[in-house]
Amino acid sequence: MRGAAKAPRTERPTMLPNRSRTSVLVFLIPPLLLYCAAVLFPILQSLFLSFFSWNGISDMEFVGLANYVRMLTADDIFWHSFFNALLYLAICLVLQLGGALVVASLLTSLRRGRELIKTLYLLPAVISTVAIAFLFVRIYSIDPVGLLNQLLHWVGLGSLERAWLSDVNTVLAAVSAPEGWRFTGLYMLIIYAALIAVPKELEEAAVLDGASKWTLFTKIRFPYIRPVWITTTIMATTYGLRGFDIPYLMTNGGPGQSSELLTTYMYKTAFTSTDFGYASTISVFIVIECLVAVGLILFMLKRKADS
Amino acid sequence: MIVQTAPATTRTAPPPAPVYKPRRRKPSLYRTLSRVLIMLIVIVQVYPLAWLFLTSLRTEQDFATGDPFALPGSLTWENYARAFETGDLGRNILNSFIVTMGANLLIVLFGMMAAYAIQVLGFRLSRFVRGLFLVGIIVPVQIALVPLFIDYSTVNLLDTYQSMIIPLAGFALPMSIYLFSSFFEYIPRETYEAASLDGAGPYRIFGLITLPLSLNTVVTVVLVNSIFIWNDFIFANTFVLSEELKTIPLGLQNYIGAMGKVDWTATFAAVCVTITPLLLVFLVLNKAMIQGLESGATKG
Repeated sequence: MRGAAKAPRTERPTMLPNRSRTSVLVFLIPPLLLYCAAVLFPILQSLFLSFFSWNGISDMEFVGLANYVRMLTADDIFWHSFFNALLYLAICLVLQLGGALVVASLLTSLRRGRELIKTLYLLPAVISTVAIAFLFVRIYSIDPVGLLNQLLHWVGLGSLERAWLSDVNTVLAAVSAPEGWRFTGLYMLIIYAALIAVPKELEEAAVLDGASKWTLFTKIRFPYIRPVWITTTIMATTYGLRGFDIPYLMTNGGPGQSSELLTTYMYKTAFTSTDFGYASTISVFIVIECLVAVGLILFMLKRKADS
Repeated sequence: MIVQTAPATTRTAPPPAPVYKPRRRKPSLYRTLSRVLIMLIVIVQVYPLAWLFLTSLRTEQDFATGDPFALPGSLTWENYARAFETGDLGRNILNSFIVTMGANLLIVLFGMMAAYAIQVLGFRLSRFVRGLFLVGIIVPVQIALVPLFIDYSTVNLLDTYQSMIIPLAGFALPMSIYLFSSFFEYIPRETYEAASLDGAGPYRIFGLITLPLSLNTVVTVVLVNSIFIWNDFIFANTFVLSEELKTIPLGLQNYIGAMGKVDWTATFAAVCVTITPLLLVFLVLNKAMIQGLESGATKG
């Protein structure tokens, strides 16, 4: 998986004996232009803007590191959103990766209906975030009573009934769950594909040696799917850190700031307060956060594999 | 079609569902438990969507007063009538369709071209360029919002189809390049050498060999990207203001009235109308789509 594309290419730079330099440019320039315009150039621009104070109308004013200092030392909302984002990420990861691993493992023990279950499980991934936000607003609602509260009532946990989205203690979890729910099917597919690729001989040998289901999983299956696990963890983490739509649509960060994430805070700073400079500083932070997260995951999971 | 996609996926994709021979007797308790658990989880995944469709057929009073789990007392299509009165669903769907097609066209064509340049033609800095494209997989899309908003207002692109298509295509390009390059690796050198001996240049080879051979990868790339583009909210919400250009996710927001008062049954009817096209495509092509998602992801 990793580096697969790099390996064989080094000795053979080209597959075509007679190709010209122009032909390379003809094929490369248009995609590169689009990519630069949409991705690379905006990244540099954000970095640049993060050193300025600018509301989009008046003249730009160079402020050096002032935005960064303000963000890191003087902005409580920033830190609040940062910790909210971490909690949001944690909930998404548990639901997505944990759920995916459990379902994928269970699915391998099933004899029939696997394809059907895969399809059904993936259904939420096809639905737009706006539709999901509407749906979950109703699920959490108290008047008229929504699905969740009704369910709690039935199982005798009526005391837990509440307006989940207005309660500052539950709102963050309430806006995180739909994101986890939405994509768990996607990660399940990937992990399932890896699990059924584990050589049957390995598993059978372990079973003959009297390994329990748990040992089989921890000693044989999981080490075997580790590379895929790393990939899915990275995907889920970077997607979790850029989560925006559902919290923005369901609560817009509220009540107060209790479900504010870095992304929603950045968005409001940019397009409600039109503080483009400071918003860029926050988005630079989000990028760094993603890079650090990816680095950490690689570091931790690689090291575990070596030990 | 599905079998043919294999070259792009062989390294990780499983052999088609291995037939499970009953080679050992498992405790039946474990088996039953895992079945029950799977059923429960599937219900959690699917029931909310079924509920959405049911609610769109309820009368308003029924929705306001009844037990949410109960089946509707009577079915009505009125909500759908109101849904079409309130919003311009037809136009929203058309706009989403235009944006999805436009972005997909760029993603496929440019993805294929870049992969061809990097993988088949090859050049000195190809590794560097490949790495450059990889950046776009990790970086969150939010970083581009403020700069693009500013750039668009300078060149008068705000509030156009292009304003949505450009970033949607740009951020999807890296994955597309990756999928195409992995596929191009599997086209044997001999094919190219033979064509070169016949006097075909890089352009003809691209059009006559690489392009037709890649059709299955094209299907994969289009299916996977369509989900994300069709449902895009953040770019549309940032760059589009006028009613005539609103895509489905923005159109749906029109159903939230002043003071957050919502005609829920009509809203759910609208939601049902807008999710149905993609849902149908997904249910019809689910095998190809599942394969695509698996291969797209395990490559990252």
